[in-house]
Amino acid sequence: MKASIASLYESVELIQPIKPLIIGERCNANGSKRFREALLEDDYDTCLTIAREQEAVGAHVIDVCTAYAGRDEMKDMETLIPTYSSSLKVPLMIDSTTPAVIERSLQLYPGRCIVNSINLEDGGVNIYKVLKLVKKYGAAVVALTIDEKGMAMTAPEKISVAKRIYKIAVDELGLRPQDILFDPLTFTIGAGDENLRDAAIQTMDAIKGIKEELPGVLTMLGLSNISFGLSPASRKILNAVFLHEALEHGLDSCIIDAAKMMPLASISEEDREYCYDLLYDRVKDPEKSPLLRFIEHFSTAVESKNDGEDEKWKPIEAQLYDKVVTGNRDDLEDILDMLLQRRSPIGIINDILVPGMRHVGELFGKGEILLPFVLQSAETMKASVRYLEPLMEKSDESDRLKILLATVQGDVHDIGKNLVDIILSNNGYKVYNIGIKVPAETIIQKAKEYDVDIVGLSGLLVKSAMVMSESMSQYEEAGLKVPIFLGGAALTRKFVAESCVPGYTPPVVYNQDAFDALKKVRDFEVGELKATTWEAPSDAKVVKPGVKDASIIRTNPVPEAPFLGDRIITDIDLEEVLALINKQALFRGRWGYRRGKMTGEEYQDLIRTRVEPLYEDFRRQFLKEGLIDAKAAYGYFACESRENHLVMSHNGKEYDYDFPRQAEAPFLCLSDYYKSAEEGGDVAGLFVVTIGEEVSKRTAELYAADEYHDYLMLHAFSVEVTDALAEYWHRRMRQELGISVNEPENIHGYVTQQYQGSRYGFGYPSCPDISAHGLVFDMLKPERIGITLTENYEMVPEQSTSALVAHHPQAKYFAV
Amino acid sequence: MKKYICINCGYIYDPEAGDPMGEIPPGTAFEDLPDSWVCPLCYTTKDNFDPID
Ligand code: B12
Ligand SMILES: [Zn+2]
Repeated sequence: MKASIASLYESVELIQPIKPLIIGERCNANGSKRFREALLEDDYDTCLTIAREQEAVGAHVIDVCTAYAGRDEMKDMETLIPTYSSSLKVPLMIDSTTPAVIERSLQLYPGRCIVNSINLEDGGVNIYKVLKLVKKYGAAVVALTIDEKGMAMTAPEKISVAKRIYKIAVDELGLRPQDILFDPLTFTIGAGDENLRDAAIQTMDAIKGIKEELPGVLTMLGLSNISFGLSPASRKILNAVFLHEALEHGLDSCIIDAAKMMPLASISEEDREYCYDLLYDRVKDPEKSPLLRFIEHFSTAVESKNDGEDEKWKPIEAQLYDKVVTGNRDDLEDILDMLLQRRSPIGIINDILVPGMRHVGELFGKGEILLPFVLQSAETMKASVRYLEPLMEKSDESDRLKILLATVQGDVHDIGKNLVDIILSNNGYKVYNIGIKVPAETIIQKAKEYDVDIVGLSGLLVKSAMVMSESMSQYEEAGLKVPIFLGGAALTRKFVAESCVPGYTPPVVYNQDAFDALKKVRDFEVGELKATTWEAPSDAKVVKPGVKDASIIRTNPVPEAPFLGDRIITDIDLEEVLALINKQALFRGRWGYRRGKMTGEEYQDLIRTRVEPLYEDFRRQFLKEGLIDAKAAYGYFACESRENHLVMSHNGKEYDYDFPRQAEAPFLCLSDYYKSAEEGGDVAGLFVVTIGEEVSKRTAELYAADEYHDYLMLHAFSVEVTDALAEYWHRRMRQELGISVNEPENIHGYVTQQYQGSRYGFGYPSCPDISAHGLVFDMLKPERIGITLTENYEMVPEQSTSALVAHHPQAKYFAV
Repeated sequence: MKKYICINCGYIYDPEAGDPMGEIPPGTAFEDLPDSWVCPLCYTTKDNFDPID
C-alpha cells in the first residue's frame, strides 16, 4: 500500500514522483522570527499568510510548531489547526514533543497528518505515548536518531538508534514501515568544527543504511543545518548540492524553506566541485581545509553581490563572539540554535559570550571603543542569555558569583548602580539589584537571604557617602562577612579609605566606575581583593582652583530686583532651553563619545554621522512628546553678609546661610560677594528648577527592557536638559535684574561664565553643605512645582537643580 | 600646542593662556600640567580631557 497523507482537499504521496517531499519549515515559533512575532501578538492571520506563502512556492506539507516559552502551545495549536486545515490545500505536520498537544492536534485535524517527532532521549517513555496516538489516529511520524546518549553523530550510531525505534514502532506497536520518516540529523560543516568535518558523510551514509536495513521506511532531513555559519548565498548553493547528494543516497523528504530552494542546474560545475569537496571532506590542499577553500572561493563571488554579508563566512562560534563584540543582534537566535546543537547553554555563555564581553571591556579600557558601543555589546549578551536561560539547568546558576546592588537610603540615583548591574551581569555574574533608597537593614537582610558574595552600594551625593560610612558598623555588627564595594560620583578613594574601611572587617573597596568594579570582582575571584588604601601624594601642592582676586569691590551698584519674595513659573519655552544645551559635555561626557584613539577627522566624522543625528532625534522627541515639564520656583530676597554668613529676609523671617571660607589665599567666602548691613545691604537670588518626572519614567522603562544603549542616551540627554534649564533660568534672572548687558555669544561663553555674576549650586565646592536645601525649600516652597527633599536633602525628581544667584561682577566659581 | 576640552563641562584648556585659576602660567602645554591639576570650572581630573584640533 502506498504511503500518503491527506488534507481535507487532497492526498499527498510521501514518496513523490520527483523527490523530495518538501516540508515547509517557516511556521515554527523557534525557527522563524516572523512567525514567532505574529504568534506573540496573537496575529493568527499572519500565521496563516506564512503558511500560504510556503504552499505557493511548492511546499507539499506545512510543518507547524507553536512551542515557545511564555506561549500556551496547546491553545495556539487549537486555534491554528482548524484555520490551517480549512484554508490550506496541503496537509500538516504537527511539530510538538508534548503528548497532550499532539493528541489534541490529531483530534482536531480532519485529514491524515504527520507527527514531528519521536526519539529515545528519555530511554523510551514518551515514544510509546506518542506512537500509540499516531496509531490510534492513523498518522505518520518523524523519528529522530536521538537516544539516552544524545544525538547520534556517526552513521552506525544513527542506524542503530533507527533500528531500536523501528522495533518499538513496527514490531511492538504494529505501525507500518512506510508510516515512519527517519531523520538521521544533519550537523553543520560550515562552522569549522573539527569533529564535524565528516558530518555530511555520516548523515548520507546513515540515510543509505537506514533505507537498506529497514526496508519500506522513509527518510527526512532538516537540510539547511548543513550549511549553518556560512553566508546566505553560499548556503543556498551548498544546500542544493547536499540535497542532490542526499537524494542519491535515498533521501525521501526534507524540511526546508521552500522559497530558498535552488535548482542544481543553475549551479556551475566549478561551484559544485567546491561543494563536493566540503561535503565529502576531500583535502586538495594540505595547507587549507576544504572549508577554508570553500569560503575563499565563494567570498569574492558574494561580496560583490551582497554587501555586508561576508561576516557570515566565519565559523559560528566566532560569529557569536563577533556579534557580542560589535553589539549586533541580527540573526542572534538562529546562531544560538545552531550552537545549541553541540554546546550546552552554560557552555555558550562561559566559552563564547563572556570572553566576548571581556574583550569588549579590554577594548574600552584601552580607549579603542566608546561606552555607547559597550552598552550595545551588553545588549547582545543580554539577549543571548535571555534566550538561553530557559534552557539552563538549575545547577548552572548556583556556582555563579552573586552580587547585591543597592542605592543607599535617602538617595534616588539609579543609573550608576544600574550601569554596574549591566556590566557585571553581562559578564556572567548573578546580580541582585534591589533598587534605590534602600535602608541598611534591608541590605543586610537581602544579602543574607540571597547569600551573596559581594555587596555593592551606590549614591549620588556626598550625603550618601556619609550614609555609607555611617552604616559600616551596622554591617559589621550584623555579621556580614563579604566585601563591600562602594561607588558614586561624590565618593573618593580617600574618603573610602579613611572613613569606610576602618569600620568593617572584610575589604571595603572604592570603585571608580563599572569597569573598575568588574576588575575588582575578578580580583576577588582569585583571592587578590584588598581594601582601598590612600596616601596623600607627597609632592602635590594643593591648588584650589578658582578666582584668585582677594580685593572684592565694595562699591558695585546693587541692582533693583523686579520683586521681593518667591514665585513659581510653569510656562517655560522649551525651545529656548534646548538651545542652551552643552553639546560638548553631552557628547563627550554624558554619552561617552570621547575622542579616544581617533584622529580629529575620524572624530568629526563620528560626530557628524552618528552623534549629531542622535542629538537631533532627541531634540525633536523632547519637543514633540512633552517629555519635559519645565518649571521653576525662584525669588529675590533682601540680604546682608555677616562674616561667613549670608542672611536673607523673607516674609519677616531671617534665613541664615553659613558658608565656609578658604583656608589659604585669597581666603574667599561666598558671603563676600554680598554687601553687609553697614554697606547698605544687598539682594540675592535663589532658584530651584526641574524638568519633571516623565523622562525618569521613560528611562526606567528602557532599562527594564534591557535597552541599555538607549537608556544611557536618554538619561544623559535629560541630565543636560536639566543643566540647560538652570542656565536658561539664570539668564532670565540676570535679565530681570537688569545685569544682562554683556551676555555670552555661544555655549562655551556660558560654560566659562562670560556674564555678570555667578550661580552657585548647593553642594558644589564653594557651598558644599547641601543641607542648605532645607532653608531654600522653606523659602521657595518648590513642593508647589512637584519637588520634594529626601532625608538627605536630595531633590526628587532627580532631574532638578538649585542655585544661589549672585550679581557681583567679580563673583565666579571657586573651591573651598 | 594642542588645546584640550573638559568632557564634563566643556571648558577648554588653551596652552597659550594657561590657567590663572589653577596657577598655571601661559605657555604651559597640557601634557606638562601636573597630575594634580583639575578643571578650573568643574574640578574633574586631567584624564577627563580630550584633545581638540
Ligand atoms: C549628571 C549630574 C547631575 C544631574 C542629575 C543626576 C543624574 N545622574 O541624574 C543634575 C544636573 C540634575 C544634577 C543635579 C545636582 N547635582 Co549633580 N552631578 C551630576 C554629575 C555631573 C554626573 C553624575 C552622573 O549621573 N553620572 C553618570 C553615572 C552613570 O555615574 P555614577 O552615578 O557616578 O556611577 C558610576 C560610578 O560612580 C560607579 N558607581 C556608582 N555607583 C556604584 C556602586 C557600586 C557598587 C560600584 C561598584 C560602582 C558604582 O560606576 C558607575 C558607572 O560607571 C556629577 C559629577 C560627576 N562628574 O560625576 C554631579 C554631582 C553628583 N552633582 C553634584 C551636586 C552638588 C548636584 C546638586 C546638589 C546641585 C544643585 N545644587 O542643584 C543637584 C542635586 C540633584 C538632586 N536631585 O538632588 C555634586 C555632588 C557633591 C555633593 N555635595 O553631594 C557632583 C559630584 C558634582 C561635583 N563635582 O560637585 N547633577
Ligand atoms: Zn570641566
